[in-house]
Amino acid sequence: MAIKRLFIANRGEIALRIVRAAQALNIETVLAVSDPDRDSAAAQLADRTIVIGPASATKSYLDPRLIVHAAKESGCDGLHPGYGFLSERAILPTLCHAHGIAFVGPEPEVIDALGDKLRARAMAGAAGVPLVPGSDCVASAADARREGDRIGYPVLLKASAGGGGRGMVIANNAEEAEAGFHRASAEAVAAFGDGTLFMERFVPEARHVEVQLMGDGRGNVLHFGERDCSVQRRYQKLVEEAPCAAMPDHLRKQLHESAVALAASVNYRNAGTCEFLFDVKRQEFYFIEVNARIQVEHPVSEMISGFDLVQEQIRIAGGAGLSVSQDQVKLTGHAIECRINAEDVARDFLPSPGRITRWQPPQGDGIRLDSHMTQGAMIPPFYDSMVGKLIVHGSDRADAIARLSAALDAFVVEGVPTTIDLHREIVAHPDFIENHIHTRWLEQVLLPERAKRAA
Amino acid sequence: MMSSDTVNDRAITDARALLDTLLSSGWQEVHVVSGETEIFIARAGGGINPMRNLVASAEPGISVATEDVAEICVTAQHVATLVDIVPLGTDLQAGDRVATIRILDVEEAIPAPVAGRISGLSVDVGALIEYGMPIFSIAQAA
Repeated sequence: MAIKRLFIANRGEIALRIVRAAQALNIETVLAVSDPDRDSAAAQLADRTIVIGPASATKSYLDPRLIVHAAKESGCDGLHPGYGFLSERAILPTLCHAHGIAFVGPEPEVIDALGDKLRARAMAGAAGVPLVPGSDCVASAADARREGDRIGYPVLLKASAGGGGRGMVIANNAEEAEAGFHRASAEAVAAFGDGTLFMERFVPEARHVEVQLMGDGRGNVLHFGERDCSVQRRYQKLVEEAPCAAMPDHLRKQLHESAVALAASVNYRNAGTCEFLFDVKRQEFYFIEVNARIQVEHPVSEMISGFDLVQEQIRIAGGAGLSVSQDQVKLTGHAIECRINAEDVARDFLPSPGRITRWQPPQGDGIRLDSHMTQGAMIPPFYDSMVGKLIVHGSDRADAIARLSAALDAFVVEGVPTTIDLHREIVAHPDFIENHIHTRWLEQVLLPERAKRAA
Repeated sequence: MMSSDTVNDRAITDARALLDTLLSSGWQEVHVVSGETEIFIARAGGGINPMRNLVASAEPGISVATEDVAEICVTAQHVATLVDIVPLGTDLQAGDRVATIRILDVEEAIPAPVAGRISGLSVDVGALIEYGMPIFSIAQAA
């Protein structure tokens, strides 16, 4: 049964994005809001809003009972969780099912299985997805040398019982592997009372690539190409692009096939993303995890495919099959997205909520802005500090960078500090232009350079 | 139910964020009321603290608007459906059940914050109550 009235259990730009997608499908919208979000852009556009709780997210957006109660009592037959908040908590689809509401996302069992790193890794292995080469338990220095030689250096020696970096040693050759075994094992005994180690290949300069997937829950899965999200700070993505220009076509094909195989093996339903680590030197990719939801950076895939992923999500949750076949998915050009946050970069990216006194976004061909902000809008201090996503589409990567650079220059925001200046610097950096970046590039290269200039 | 530590931590986080907002903006003062937390921060020469003359509620989970000291309006702490409520004019002791609300299949009692007479009913039985909506008023016994 196609969804007639959709409940939106989220806020910010993604809530607005979902309201618009539903309206394009002639579906009524009911938006959950917390007290300070009563007048948000999404609230103004939705057919109805329900104030579910106070500012505190644990008493509003993170309480699945309040969310499902409001959805049910307002006569909704579908619920979209967006990203973040409860989007990957199995309790939400479980409650939805119990109350006759279609959940826009995978089955709760699939969310649980993919959310467990070890189970997800086993599922990926079973589906033939490449995993980071590693060892079983390593019992001696001689074992460590043998396994290191087999895996290939550098390797990471890790405590089986461990976590948080304790008992972890990087070894660049066989000698270091032997010496590292003694050191890591002693550390592991001291920290965890258990000296058992295992080894894993260490990729010092990796790229983060991920494949956008859409499944019908019956074993049919489409991909919408890959994204490269290697500009990161503390594992938070700042810039995302599609496709991954650093990846050769034969590898790209394998990457897509691996992601589709994994999703198909669990009859994946709705939108998902399979994340990989790409070792550019070795030209190999390894499974990281699956995110069982729509992602922040989905627009870059929409820009190169011309396909609305959120509308497809809602249709599939309403029981429809996939609306296109794989050969109808045509990927053209290059898209880049910048996440713009209200943060003070100079003060260690301190979130800086407040009122937007001037909001003058760029406009033009190939420019898309996903934002809930307007002049005079308030960024409440209670949630994340993202003010919007600037996305550009060009004929190739160089063209996209040129458009992005012009768009960032034209973007004027006053009232709160934002990361727009930082994005200008990223986009203008020779390493970014030449595409010689990796997941630690921002923290190891650009930010130190910036700090040096400021000193 | 959140522990009081969590509530306190959140209040501290909120206050820090508001202080930062105040300092980085041109505002003289900021006043935020949300849930169990009310925060007022002013620069030197800023406005008068509006919380100074407020009588705070001793009852957890009940917010009190004191337009008149003798009448207390109880508002919803979260979205819920009203299952039943005592008639207008009912005399109650503090802690007596005034209304029953429901979230999905779980019912919850709303007690009288003080001894007194129910002086106003704001919601019909069966209706969806949103956060912050008045549910009933009680005139405090002299």
